[in-house]
Amino acid sequence: MSASEWFREDRLPHIYCTGCGNGTVINCTLAAVEEMGWKRDETVFVSGIGCSSRAPGYILTDSLHTTHGRALAFATGVKMARPEFNVVVFTGDGDLAAIGGNHFIHACRRNVDMTVVCMNNQIYGMTGGQGSPTTPPGAISTTTPYGASEPAFDLAELAVAAGANYVARWTSYHVKELTKAVTTGMQTPGLAFVEVRTQCPTNYGRHNKLRTVPAMIEHIRSHAMLVEKYNRLTAEGKPIPEGTFTVGELVRRSRPAMGVRR
Amino acid sequence: MKLVIDESRCKGCNLCVLVCPYGIFAEGTELNSRGIVSPVLDRPERCTNCRLQALYGRMLCGVCRMICPDQAIAWVEERPFEPHRVEVEF
Ligand SMILES: Cc1ncc(C[n+]2csc(CCOP(=O)(O)OP(=O)(O)O)c2C)c(N)n1
Ligand code: SF4
Ligand code: SF4
Ligand code: SF4
Ligand SMILES: [Mg+2]
Repeated sequence: MSASEWFREDRLPHIYCTGCGNGTVINCTLAAVEEMGWKRDETVFVSGIGCSSRAPGYILTDSLHTTHGRALAFATGVKMARPEFNVVVFTGDGDLAAIGGNHFIHACRRNVDMTVVCMNNQIYGMTGGQGSPTTPPGAISTTTPYGASEPAFDLAELAVAAGANYVARWTSYHVKELTKAVTTGMQTPGLAFVEVRTQCPTNYGRHNKLRTVPAMIEHIRSHAMLVEKYNRLTAEGKPIPEGTFTVGELVRRSRPAMGVRR
Repeated sequence: MKLVIDESRCKGCNLCVLVCPYGIFAEGTELNSRGIVSPVLDRPERCTNCRLQALYGRMLCGVCRMICPDQAIAWVEERPFEPHRVEVEF
């Protein structure tokens, strides 16, 4: 079976805008599922509300498209009731860190055995481009017309602090690395959190001088720095360019986990 | 194997143009029937997948297909066999 056999071909092309990174993240996640050799009738995709959260609707398994912010709560329920199922959550930065922020930290604390893929486009894409908790300072959105003035959440660091067993961050440009990270996350018992920096050309790029899709992805790629390099530069007291974010594996450990198949 | 873009899915984002190490995709210039400018292929037989996928029995490279947000890139069997010249670049 190949990854394309997990798609609901009759639903394609999907509704995402031209060049939206969400489609790439679905490709990589399905390639990881394929790598794991999971069966379709033992795999459940769960999501909340948002462009990112529409992803399970394009996949040929049973899925739950739940209320805004509550994907992790529903996914915890699925995992507790049926620990033999493989649970994968698709979520967005708004869904996960704004309205669903509390579920996020507690799912990490409980270390529920599932894989959470967050498509962090740093904006509320679906509702027209309002600022989210990850909108970087200075960025223009419909709710920050003079530039965001609040500091942004680092979702991956949040998951590390809250206790997830596996945490990694990549971008929608790094398709091979992302697929590998999602696969490792799926293999790790406990909660695996993979943050993906993705492009929302329509509601982020257009307002922030990144008009074309390649310009947007180039902006993301050029601000990504391997976590090993970042740590080395910081240890040496060297300056880190502004807007840099770390990519790579941030943690892999074996804290006690909930819902692990015996 | 033959590289094809499914024009019923492609939305013309040009991400494939950005990632292919061989420069096989080039930005298109003409609107198709869906009102989209899909990329054009420049000597696709240079792609490692076209040449060696069947021999190795797995996907090689494949980054264009992975990054394509619209699942528009695929390799199809050539039938009947379509001969073409392969240029090896050093
Ligand atoms: C309870 C509730 N509040 C607000 C909304 C409106 N709403 C829909 S999607 C969304 C934000 C989604 O942002 P994100 O999770 O980042 O997804 P994206 O569209 O960017 O992928 C909001 C606020 C809603 N559907 N339900
Ligand atoms: S609004 Fe943004 S996140 Fe939503 S489909 Fe369009 S590009 Fe993707
Ligand atoms: S598989 Fe690789 S070499 Fe072949 S067309 Fe795609 S990006 Fe280019
Ligand atoms: S990446 Fe896919 S959707 Fe984008 S231009 Fe290439 S074939 Fe079309
Ligand atoms: Mg978002």
